[in-house]
Amino acid sequence: MNERGRRFYILAGIFTLFVLFLYGPMFAIFALSFQGPEGGLTFPMRGFSTHWFAELWKGVGVVDIWAAFYRSLRLGAVVAGLTLAISLPAALAYRLGFRGATLLFYTVIASLIVPSIVVSLGIGLEFRLFDDWVKEFVTGHQTSTGLFTSALGAHLTWTLPFGLLILLAAFNRFDRRYEEAARDLGASPWQTLWLVILPIIAPSLIGIALFGFTLSWDELARTSQAIGGRNTLPLELRGLTQTVTTPAVYALGTMVTGVSLAVIGVSLLAITVMGRARARRSR
Amino acid sequence: MTDRPSRPGGLNRRKFLYGTAAATTVAASTKLFAPAVQAQEAPTLRYLGTAVNQSAEIAAKVKEDLGITIEYIPVTTDEVTRRVVTQPNTFDLVDIEYMSLKNVVPTGNLKGMDTSKITQADNITTLFTEGTIDGQPVGDQGTAPKKVIWLPGEEATDFATEPTGFMSLIPTVYNADTLGIRPDLIGRPIESWAELLNPEFKGKASILNIPSIGIMDAALVVEALGEHQYADKGNMTRDEIDLTIETLIEAKRAGQFRALWQDFNESVNLMASGEVVIQSMWSPAVTAVRTQGIECKYQPLKEGYRAWAAGFGLPATIDGRQQDAAYEFINWFLSGWAGAFLNRQGYYSAVLGTAKENMEAYEWAYWMEGAAAEQDIMSPSGQLLAKAGEVRDGGSYQDRLGAISCWNAVMDENVYMVRKWNEFVAS
Amino acid sequence: MTTTEQATGTPPIAEGRAHTALVTPQSDAAALHGVKRRVSLLDRPYALAGPLILVMAIFFVGPLILTIIVSFWEYTQYSIEPAMVVTNYVDVFDRCIARLPTLCVTFATYLSTLKFCFIVWAITLILGFTLAWFIVFEVKKTSTQIALFLLCTIPFWTSNVIRMMAWIPLLGRNGLVNQTLMSMGLISEPQEWLLYSDFAVILAFIHLYTMFMMVPIVNSMMRIDREILEAARDAGASIWTIAMSVVAPLCRPGIVIGSIFVITIVMGDYITVGVMGGQQIASVGKTIQVQMQYLQFPIAAANAVVLLGAVLMIIFAMTKLVDVRREL
Repeated sequence: MNERGRRFYILAGIFTLFVLFLYGPMFAIFALSFQGPEGGLTFPMRGFSTHWFAELWKGVGVVDIWAAFYRSLRLGAVVAGLTLAISLPAALAYRLGFRGATLLFYTVIASLIVPSIVVSLGIGLEFRLFDDWVKEFVTGHQTSTGLFTSALGAHLTWTLPFGLLILLAAFNRFDRRYEEAARDLGASPWQTLWLVILPIIAPSLIGIALFGFTLSWDELARTSQAIGGRNTLPLELRGLTQTVTTPAVYALGTMVTGVSLAVIGVSLLAITVMGRARARRSR
Repeated sequence: MTDRPSRPGGLNRRKFLYGTAAATTVAASTKLFAPAVQAQEAPTLRYLGTAVNQSAEIAAKVKEDLGITIEYIPVTTDEVTRRVVTQPNTFDLVDIEYMSLKNVVPTGNLKGMDTSKITQADNITTLFTEGTIDGQPVGDQGTAPKKVIWLPGEEATDFATEPTGFMSLIPTVYNADTLGIRPDLIGRPIESWAELLNPEFKGKASILNIPSIGIMDAALVVEALGEHQYADKGNMTRDEIDLTIETLIEAKRAGQFRALWQDFNESVNLMASGEVVIQSMWSPAVTAVRTQGIECKYQPLKEGYRAWAAGFGLPATIDGRQQDAAYEFINWFLSGWAGAFLNRQGYYSAVLGTAKENMEAYEWAYWMEGAAAEQDIMSPSGQLLAKAGEVRDGGSYQDRLGAISCWNAVMDENVYMVRKWNEFVAS
Repeated sequence: MTTTEQATGTPPIAEGRAHTALVTPQSDAAALHGVKRRVSLLDRPYALAGPLILVMAIFFVGPLILTIIVSFWEYTQYSIEPAMVVTNYVDVFDRCIARLPTLCVTFATYLSTLKFCFIVWAITLILGFTLAWFIVFEVKKTSTQIALFLLCTIPFWTSNVIRMMAWIPLLGRNGLVNQTLMSMGLISEPQEWLLYSDFAVILAFIHLYTMFMMVPIVNSMMRIDREILEAARDAGASIWTIAMSVVAPLCRPGIVIGSIFVITIVMGDYITVGVMGGQQIASVGKTIQVQMQYLQFPIAAANAVVLLGAVLMIIFAMTKLVDVRREL
């Protein structure tokens, strides 16, 4: 027990250091977002105010940052959903086995490997050819590239390998006896999936959705050539770096982090409270 | 798609799931195209360019004056060229550098602009149309605008040498670049490009990592060091490229550069944080450092400036109302308000006369005539740029632009140059 | 080390004989129970994998084929022209053999990229494994586990473009780290190697990609029966023995997948190396990106094909050591 306690504290220490390291750049971002109007992007701090949060609220001047923010948010949600909706059945297919499974596996791996910017260019070229073809039939057709066509596809080539690989690993150690038991008890395949398999791999599914959203939200290179007209948030921010960039972008970072922490804190609190209430009731 | 009568069994649930996903996707993308449809009433222009010239103030003013909605698509400099070449359907108006024209015009993706539709066409500065200021010729090494501004017609894939009725781009903004320095950390006068490689600044210098521009700064240094005299810095021979890159590699191996910078913002941060004390820089970057209360000088050098210019172009596919709206916007842009707005940031506008009408006399005197500021000079967003009594770095319009040594360029040996530049980065 | 899980748990995906697998499950079940059941969608692998195949075909294989075709084209500054030439590949390996043992640009770049790749892989593996252990075995409550996970994810919701800017104020001459160390009296003048160096690049990689290693390992670890650990401890095994010869082998799928993630991403990265190396360190991705900037698509495509080949070789070598497909 004693050795166990010591190990816990050592590992907890390492974990804390890692989290501190993860948040390292964030600390600089937090501090610098509270500068006065004359503030820049580097230390030393110049003044102290919430001026840049007000600027952020107004949209950072040059571009409509909030429009891009919501575009990325929508895209991220759709990507997360589709990643789940596509990789889960695919992983189930791998449990059955099929001709070409290995080929598909290596294609998915390759999709991860090929430099993002090349995939992006390829998709851009492909859509251009497609547009030219459509124009033969549809007058006034401009472009089919866009947030929920080419950009969505580009993001999926990035998130699907993660989804599939994580699920393959999850199913690898999946004890088939649970399913067999369910089947013996007369469950239909859908009931088995819904009531037995999904609950067991639920943590992986949540992880994939989270991964899918985070990867899409932060994706830059793969989107660059495949986005069409309107930019995602990272592209918009990247564009902003071509001109005077103010601590307003740091304010954006502070705000996103603050809101996320608050939302998660509140939901955890709710879960704990609800759990306690339930425990009390059942007692 | 989703209202198909559902069949019993597992199949339909999945169908439904995918059906919803597809329907959402379609709905989302039609929403995306919606603005183009609404354009029938109030035109919207998708304005592709770098964030440098894109400002909320200009968009708001256009909306007020013309009713046209400007939708900015801010991207990096190279990205502008790439999108014009690979995705010409994704914008209605592009703000692009003249040097890129050698790559863009041959693709036929840009439409020649009919100067008869441009009200101020005859008043565009002679720097662009003839390469002169007050009748005096200006340095024209590299891709000087006068070499690429004229097109033989509306659908052109090469350039005209004589003025025609068609321009490749209607100029918007231009400037002359030099080295930025931190006078407080250097403490002595800097007069030559050669100082960039002076071992005194070892580990505190920087050059920009945009090959076509970086190599020209390097060429200015090589000339200043007296190692070689180029026939045309904007169009080097292979031997000249080798020599220039060799000089850079030597300096890099000796630890001269703290970092290379890639975008505007990095250059500001390097300078403001004191990581670097001397580097290639763009004028608004110097301004940005100064507004943080840090001393920074846009140092005029005896070898002259490297100039650049940008302008508006139209995609080849544009026509009808969109095209009319684009011309209307460009005419508005040249009519003075926007010009004054640019001049107040330290850039230069294409039609000086109209800009002057929109500026206060003291502002014009400070920015354009090299006079000491009569009162505090403010940026358009209200930040203090110069206190009363200060003089603009480099002096008047004539002094600065008259001293242009070369223009940003795309060389004939561009492919080779990029390969050698990659060697420099990898060395 | 033989466990009940291993004995029964590994599905025979690797021997993916489509026809048999297609028929077996439900015919077995039907025979066993004497019940007639319709063929469910869940028994049809091609229908299940269909969407994935479709997305991959449209958005990856199509573009990839275009890329490969283009890598044999000729190009000028403003156009790419259909051709069937290998000059782009020759250019990629320009003077590489003739100048040996001096490394040509391509070889030197790959060497540098591989170096980063190996160091980052080793560190993220050890770190990821340790952190995963903590989350899975030392933290008992699921809600706490999820909270810790989210805590690690939140920084990634601030765009990397912004976070990259923040490394200067953190590690620069006047940055937080240098100022803290100086005020503590540990150093007397700012340390310059903290930023724009190999160290900075590796640090940023670890920062960005440890999660990619940790998540799959956590996934695998979650599945380990704790009784096995108890049994091993009861048998007198030290914690190191348990970690190395019980947990690590059982986590192999997670480790392999995490390794694939980290290696592939680091090999193709250009933004991190660019920013943290002060644009002074070459990477293959960077070379491709510069060539694309200048619209030299064919040579960029050729470089990409070479890179793809190189990474596939690494993955292939890994599969020689560990049978990935069987592990999955």
